Amino acid sequence: MANYASDVDASALKPRGRRWRDLLREPVASICLLFLLFQLLCVGGALLFPDSFRYLTPSNVALLQRAIPVIGIVALGVGLLMITGEYDLSVGSVYTLAGYSMALLYAAGVSPVAALLLTLSIGIVIGIVNGLVTVKTGIPSFIATMGSMLLVRGLVRWLSEAGAVSFRPGGAFASIFTGSIFGVEAAFIWFVLLAGVAALLLHRSRLGNHMFLVGGSERTARAVGIHTHRVKVVAFALSGLAAAMAGILSITRVGTATPAQGIGMELRAIAVCVIGGLFLSGGRGTVLGIVIGACILYMVEDVLLLLRAPGFYLDVFVGAILVVAVIANTALARRSAR
Amino acid sequence: MSAITTPLLELKGISKSYGHVEALRDAHFEIRRNEVVGLLGDNGAGKSTLVKIMSGVEFPTSGHILRDGRPATIRSRKDSELLGIETIYQDSALVGSASIMRNFFAGRELTRGPGLLDMHAMNAIVMDQLVNTVRIAGIDSPDILVETLSGGQRQAVAIARAVYFKTAMLLLDEPTSALSVRETDKLLAHLGELKADGVSAVFITHNLYHAYESCDRFVVLSRGRVIRSLSREETSVRELNDIIVKH
Repeated sequence: MANYASDVDASALKPRGRRWRDLLREPVASICLLFLLFQLLCVGGALLFPDSFRYLTPSNVALLQRAIPVIGIVALGVGLLMITGEYDLSVGSVYTLAGYSMALLYAAGVSPVAALLLTLSIGIVIGIVNGLVTVKTGIPSFIATMGSMLLVRGLVRWLSEAGAVSFRPGGAFASIFTGSIFGVEAAFIWFVLLAGVAALLLHRSRLGNHMFLVGGSERTARAVGIHTHRVKVVAFALSGLAAAMAGILSITRVGTATPAQGIGMELRAIAVCVIGGLFLSGGRGTVLGIVIGACILYMVEDVLLLLRAPGFYLDVFVGAILVVAVIANTALARRSAR
Repeated sequence: MSAITTPLLELKGISKSYGHVEALRDAHFEIRRNEVVGLLGDNGAGKSTLVKIMSGVEFPTSGHILRDGRPATIRSRKDSELLGIETIYQDSALVGSASIMRNFFAGRELTRGPGLLDMHAMNAIVMDQLVNTVRIAGIDSPDILVETLSGGQRQAVAIARAVYFKTAMLLLDEPTSALSVRETDKLLAHLGELKADGVSAVFITHNLYHAYESCDRFVVLSRGRVIRSLSREETSVRELNDIIVKH
């Protein structure tokens, strides 16, 4: 029911600044609060019981900083694509392939930097192919990328039959990805930088605006003159690129490529996005949410490990958080839609 | 209406087939400046197809289009936008999950510096248009999601967008079907004001009373053909109803 200017005073027409109440209505606000609460609990617990709960030990902090970026970077790509309204199940396979690509190219005498550029290109090309297959044939991306997931996984198996491959570049290249400055791991710095780039792209660029609109309603986006297919293919390419980046980050730290590394990663990345307030239906979400989602997922696993909980608890807890996050986000969206 | 002026937009001998189905056959349609034309006809008469051809969503099988007497081609939304044609669909003009501002500038975003969105300028323009052009209250921030707006508020946002982007001609496809009585009144009043500002409009509706109230001329379609073109002075709601029912 609309009111019209004739019967309202002029002050009601003035735009207002965003109030705290509005900020708290954003889906990402609840997940940030949860994250802070959780963080306070863990830090408090670690200060009270420094011997039995080793959350704040340098080795644990460093471990978290190295573990979060890998899934976090994959989730940045998957999340941007999810906001555009599509899925990418091939990221786990691309992640593993990136490790093999780095190792094999390096073994063949290619310089680490050239190997890096080639590997990133492979990720982009796989993403573009995923995108073209999805938009040109009109089949759901869930199916199209499931196909490429299996295809690339098969390729990785074939590559792995030639024997174990290792990637141990020396000097500057390794320290760019595995070093640390003032106790902050290089991998984490990369994650924060990439998240900043993703945030600019999504929230402050023309392409980002088109991603939101295409994900919200492809029909309307096309009706207002947006090249919806192009936007989707670009989003797929970014997803492939992010997966390749994560793979490079991982192989530089671990040093050896194994074929089973990336299995299940695609669903974990989607879980990170959903915990971070993205909608499976597309059109909504924030980069901050993806970052917090990745942090929460790993913190939960880390805390359970520190508490020496049996392994199966990991899955149980991640599953529970996932469902609770979706329920909370849906409830919030319904409330703000009123 | 002076008959000697060239029409703003003229469609000549337009046919459109979907496989064996002939949606439009040799249709002629024209609209002059400062004119509101009601496009009438029963379901399946070809009204929506005609609108889709003018808005660039569909391309005619044959026929040609003139803008101000000069031949024009409308193959995409961008083409129709360049000709100053803006379409307001009953439900699909705006994306519900996006904010008013993001919808307002959809596909025509303002940027500054290295291609970053100029959020400040866009927010200011949106609020200015909403407050001064369509004078709609109850919207106090450009960040509000469109899905939280009422049907009338959504139409108002779409109309404000059309006005801001200097539209010469509005295509309104069943704009009143989802509106309350009061919102419909407001929309019809907007159409009158836009006409005074020199904006023409094609108004598709099933409601002959709404059409009669706001249109200068009526074009009646039946089974893909234009069967009548009548000015408001020479007809009545009853006569229009009879024409639609009998064909």
